[in-house]
Amino acid sequence: MAKTHWFKKLAVALFCSIWLIGAAFGYHYLYGNQTAEAKTVITIGYQKGDIFQIAKLDGGLEKALEKENYTVKWHEFVDGSALQEALKTGSIDFGRTGNTPPVIAQSSGAQIVYAAAGYSKYQGSAILIPKNSTVKSVKALKGQKIAVAKGTSAHYFLIRALKKAGLTLNDVDVQYLDAGAARIAFEKGAVAAWVTWDPYTASAQTDIGAQILTTAEGYTTDRDFILSTKSFTTANPDVTKLVVSQTNKALKRANQNKSQLIKNLAKALKMDQATITLMVNRRTYGLESISTEILKEQQSIADTFYDLKLIKKKVDVQSAKIEN
Amino acid sequence: MQKFKTKLLNFCLPALLPVSLLLIWQIASQFNLISTKFFPAPSTIIKTVYTLVQGKELFKNVTISLYRATLGLGIGASLGILLGLLTGLSHRANQLLDSTIQMIRNIPHLALLPLVIAWFGVGETSKIFLVAVGVFFPLYANTVHGIQSVDPELIEMGHVYQLSRWQLFTDIIFPSALPAILVGLRYALGIMWTTLIVAETIASDSGIGYMAMNAREFMQMDVILVSILIYALLGKISDLIAKFFENEANHWQINE
Repeated sequence: MAKTHWFKKLAVALFCSIWLIGAAFGYHYLYGNQTAEAKTVITIGYQKGDIFQIAKLDGGLEKALEKENYTVKWHEFVDGSALQEALKTGSIDFGRTGNTPPVIAQSSGAQIVYAAAGYSKYQGSAILIPKNSTVKSVKALKGQKIAVAKGTSAHYFLIRALKKAGLTLNDVDVQYLDAGAARIAFEKGAVAAWVTWDPYTASAQTDIGAQILTTAEGYTTDRDFILSTKSFTTANPDVTKLVVSQTNKALKRANQNKSQLIKNLAKALKMDQATITLMVNRRTYGLESISTEILKEQQSIADTFYDLKLIKKKVDVQSAKIEN
Repeated sequence: MQKFKTKLLNFCLPALLPVSLLLIWQIASQFNLISTKFFPAPSTIIKTVYTLVQGKELFKNVTISLYRATLGLGIGASLGILLGLLTGLSHRANQLLDSTIQMIRNIPHLALLPLVIAWFGVGETSKIFLVAVGVFFPLYANTVHGIQSVDPELIEMGHVYQLSRWQLFTDIIFPSALPAILVGLRYALGIMWTTLIVAETIASDSGIGYMAMNAREFMQMDVILVSILIYALLGKISDLIAKFFENEANHWQINE
């Protein structure tokens, strides 16, 4: 009996030490790489495979900011809504979302500003239908279940596509699901269609042979937006300009060496090269300044959402423009 | 011979059900009786564990989760025990604090998650705070209960022996309350893990919960199952450790 007791004590002591050592390692992974000098930290929020992640992999942005004594911290988000929440509370200084989250953020009173607009990416955003689907047009989706993430560019795209086919959101059975849940529903056949963007579009195409009913072409320019807050950009105009120009440079470099980009992205996202190749090749990366045209589309998104009572307050996108 | 048979049975019977389930699962996957997409075979899962361990991702994520859990537990448990001792021992303190604490206790702490993120951002503070809050209440409640359940005859005995208030506490009250406190700890450990899982699936880019969430977006069922297995394993280990200390405390228990 005494022997067993001794053994138990040793086992517990061992487990406890391993536990504490493990926790110490965890601490190191979280805080280990901090430099002694207190540099100003710029936190940038990104989503899977987006232009900020490309800039992150490129490294040029970080180097340029280091020169100005800034350290960059990156934070990944599952979609634009989560990212915009963090932007609102000041957890991140910059973020990249599609065209709809900034409108939603503004309507909730957040002081969001548009720092830059990305090039169109409509070829990667699509209404997907299953491999063996017999649906031939958007009109045929009447009365069917469609999965889409609420408050995202795909949501706006769906509204526009339905409108062109003479339908409204009420004519279909909309299932608001985020990318993960929607993928599962789509694979199981629980929904007739899924409106989403790259990399999810490409992944569904290569993994399960999903078909594209239609891309976002003609319905929306489907641009990316680099967002920040009014307070941050007013206090840091130089950093803002730097982040935008350096990201643009990284994107231009990515365009010129797409094969390397594909390798880097596939590794970072832990996805197969076929999917990433599909995603990268149907897109040209780049940033441009916010033009009147772009603001017009953002305003129409705001008005559409307000008319459909998807947002509660009327939004004037002009107030989200950065004063130069 | 009889003794050996009983020992063998004692060992084998509990393992019979899980092992047969695993076998049926593996066979069903091999003959495609169940969709390997949604239910990866046990052999695939073992392969995945191996790949993950190789990639160092697993170690990084597990240790990060471990760190958050430990820190949250440390803060929440110490506060819970301290305040529990205070309100258990001092009638005035009890009047002052107990009803407020009990009111807050009734709020499901996971419901606080959006609030916590709004207050503390998406960094480590929110996760550790939430774990600490979750762990605090069972330890507080059990400590108070433990103190209040001390056999009054023992206290009387202590008075007879003219023990000082400090001696009364360290020799009689605290050891009597210890088993209850440790039961609270075991309960709190379960809460610690479930809170961490939830906190790590929202606004996190590291940890076991993040690993599972990340896998979910790309239908990597095997990675999700591995994450669940890890949580189960960690939960079991922490429970065993707490059980051990509980048994130790019971040895100290004053027996009539």
